[in-house]
Amino acid sequence: MPAERRSLRSNNKSDTSSSANGEKANSNSQSSGTKDKAPTTRAAANKAKSGPTKKDAKGASNGSMGDDDQSHTNGSKSTENGVNGSEDVEMGEDTAGAPTSSSNTSKDRKSNEKMTVVVPPTKGSRSSGKDKEEDVTMEGAEDGDENTEPEVDPATKAIQDIKSNFTLLERAVAHFDPRFTLRVLRSISSMRKHLTPEVLAEVIVETYSASSSTASFLLEALDQANAFENAPASSQMEVDSDKKPIPKETLAEVDAYLSILVQIYLFDQREIQKGAQFSTSLIERLRALNRRTLDSLAARVYFYYSLFFEQIAPLPPSPAAAVTTIRQPLLAALRTAVLRKDVDTQATVMTLLLRNYLSTSHISQADLLISHNPFPVAASNNQIARYMFYLGRIRAIQLQYTEAHSHLIGATRKSPASQVARGFYQASHKLLVVVELLMGDIPDRAVFRQPALERAMHPYLLLSQAVSVADLDGFLNIVNTHSETFRKDGTYTLILRLRQNVIKTGIRMMSLSYSRISLRDICLRLGLDSEESAEYIVAKAIRDGVIEATLDHEHGFMKSKEVGDIYATREPGEAFHERIRACLALHDESVKAMRFPMNQHRLELKSAQEARERERELAKEIQEGDMDDEDAGGDFDAI
Amino acid sequence: MSDLQSLVSELHGAVERKQFDAANDLLSRSKRALLLQNALIPTSSTPPQLVVLARQVLELGALASIRQTDAQLFTRYYQQLQPFYDLERHAGLPGQSSSEVDFSTSQRSKITGLYLLLLLSMGDSANFHTVLEGLVEEASLKGGRVEDDACIKYPVELERNLMEGSYDKVWRETKSERVPSEDFGLFSNVLIGTIRNEIAGCSEKAYPSLPISNAKNLLFLESEGAVIEFAKQRGWILRDGRIYFPVEPEATARSEKDILMASGTVIENALGYARELETIV
Repeated sequence: MPAERRSLRSNNKSDTSSSANGEKANSNSQSSGTKDKAPTTRAAANKAKSGPTKKDAKGASNGSMGDDDQSHTNGSKSTENGVNGSEDVEMGEDTAGAPTSSSNTSKDRKSNEKMTVVVPPTKGSRSSGKDKEEDVTMEGAEDGDENTEPEVDPATKAIQDIKSNFTLLERAVAHFDPRFTLRVLRSISSMRKHLTPEVLAEVIVETYSASSSTASFLLEALDQANAFENAPASSQMEVDSDKKPIPKETLAEVDAYLSILVQIYLFDQREIQKGAQFSTSLIERLRALNRRTLDSLAARVYFYYSLFFEQIAPLPPSPAAAVTTIRQPLLAALRTAVLRKDVDTQATVMTLLLRNYLSTSHISQADLLISHNPFPVAASNNQIARYMFYLGRIRAIQLQYTEAHSHLIGATRKSPASQVARGFYQASHKLLVVVELLMGDIPDRAVFRQPALERAMHPYLLLSQAVSVADLDGFLNIVNTHSETFRKDGTYTLILRLRQNVIKTGIRMMSLSYSRISLRDICLRLGLDSEESAEYIVAKAIRDGVIEATLDHEHGFMKSKEVGDIYATREPGEAFHERIRACLALHDESVKAMRFPMNQHRLELKSAQEARERERELAKEIQEGDMDDEDAGGDFDAI
Repeated sequence: MSDLQSLVSELHGAVERKQFDAANDLLSRSKRALLLQNALIPTSSTPPQLVVLARQVLELGALASIRQTDAQLFTRYYQQLQPFYDLERHAGLPGQSSSEVDFSTSQRSKITGLYLLLLLSMGDSANFHTVLEGLVEEASLKGGRVEDDACIKYPVELERNLMEGSYDKVWRETKSERVPSEDFGLFSNVLIGTIRNEIAGCSEKAYPSLPISNAKNLLFLESEGAVIEFAKQRGWILRDGRIYFPVEPEATARSEKDILMASGTVIENALGYARELETIV
């Protein structure tokens, strides 16, 4: 059962960029699993096995691995994948060095790729860098492939891919396993550029009977309402040749899947109005259905639904924005999702609603939404990251910096560092830096050095430099020159609050460097208006615990206290405890996140283990039996 | 409609003349009238003139309540006014079809400014910033700044100075003619009370002792007698014309307790680690 085994290993958290290959893996693994469709890909796999080059050896080893990994446990699998990944990078260089390599190698790579996709970049950030690299080279090779081999038509390939996804969906329904659905959803991004109304229409015509209302609904959205009359003969032919019987009743999941493809097509064509209309009626249809296997698809539908409305004329910052009109349906969807325990939709709709509220700066509404709705723990990683980002933003506005900080840390860590989610990565880092500054910390310099952030974070770097040297004038200058950027990022009001932090840092620095300093000097250095202000500010800093000092009002100076030994306090112990707790929590979570193969596999293992155990027990019994005999003998003797 | 109009003008007079009993009576009557016409919440079908009248009634109600220093009632009026102000926000945007509703009589910035000040005086900075965030967003949409509006600028600056600790500036702001209108002045006493307490708290920590005459200036009190009064309230010790702030006497006792507490937590933590390790290994 290699196909199924693959799916277990492929991970829903892998970023979308890698799904270009994921989809290929689908077709490949399917070909080996079901053996009767997608002949081209199977051929590819065969070639890979029979070819004479060094790479083929690897392909073969991969193939054999597919066969024998039934007996592998989860842990060993991941290490193998790691090895595969490194091999793949090396391969990429190989082909780049030899551009003459024929289609054979690229196909070869596909079979190899099949294995690498499987590498689950669980937390996104670590391995995705490598993944990205592979993907880039992969795509290049693919393009070359299409050029040299004209018979591989992207349209027919797309159709084939879509249809192969149908089988996955059917299997998802049959096995009640959401991972098949997730795999289908992941393949969308690679299919995206091949989507044309013709492709979609053809698939629809082949999938539905002419009288189906769903078909006409979808075709209408594509402006292909008469597709049934146009292409019945050819499609009939193809269906016959494929020997694939049309299922009498198409699954609701297939409907939803095709609808998502239509949505994406409309979005890519910037047909926003039409897309919005289509999505609205689509949601009406989906709401009537109550199927758990439909959940993740429905969540995606809502996502695009909201995306369409965000692009409609009065754009979000304005209070009359079109997004406000979809709050009602989204709230209804949220309620339904909660009642049906539909985690995917619940999580997606909640983040959409938060985004919606925040886009028109209805912060109190967003806060109320959060306080009344627990966010599902089992939501997908990306949704959790989004949710944490919005939560962090709301808390930052409400001056709860500590809470905001922990949420934003979560968001930045969970966000995939790859190309696709770069915007999110940057936005969450910007907010995080500002919140850290507000908390009185200076962000790590390394944050600004990341290639993904360097350019976007430049104003923030200047800002934190100004705060760290307590340069009030410089700080105000930066705020003024970059105010446009800060406004655009939605951090402007937060940054305005930083002024007092700049002053506090300045006081702290002075208290550390001078044992006694006159208020007049403080006033001059910080550029304050009057000595009086300086006195109050210093007094407040003392009370807030920023510095350890006393003031002398008559002589007008500040006298710093001796700094105590921090190791005499409990501070280090607490910090240590905090870290240990974090590590333990990490361990617990990783244990929870482990996924074990399906039952039959474990049964085999268990039976093997049981056999071994029985053997061992037998051996033991024999040993003990001997002993017993002796003992018994002794006993008898005694009697 | 016409009797509502007369009600509003009557109400206006009553609020201006500070006849609050009469105003309250008029308010409940006009609100009832509005309710009968279903105009307490503006909808697209509400006639524009009625919207204006309803807004006026609510604004007058808000002002009357603030003059009677009824914070809860004011908050309620503020919330009720939000839908009306939302209409105004929509209409104020470029590229929007101008509706027939007349916004010239709206006292939006004043009411909002008062609300901000109320939040500030209650120390509710979370809500303060939440409201402010929306205003900043709106202002930048119009290409302006929040500070362009005198009524909004006042609480915003006050908040900034309060957070920063420049209490003398807060003092000057509340005293001077920079207070945008007399309604804002109502909060001055509350604010001065707030900053005086803040300063007192800071002084306790920051100074070992302070001459009474200096304390008078620091705390913005009128006379030394007032200082002595205030010092007694806070439990400060007065000796030789100086104020001695009580040092925390439990400094030594606490450290001993601290050790006991600390060892307790250390033991607890260590046991916790042991348990966790056991589950892992």
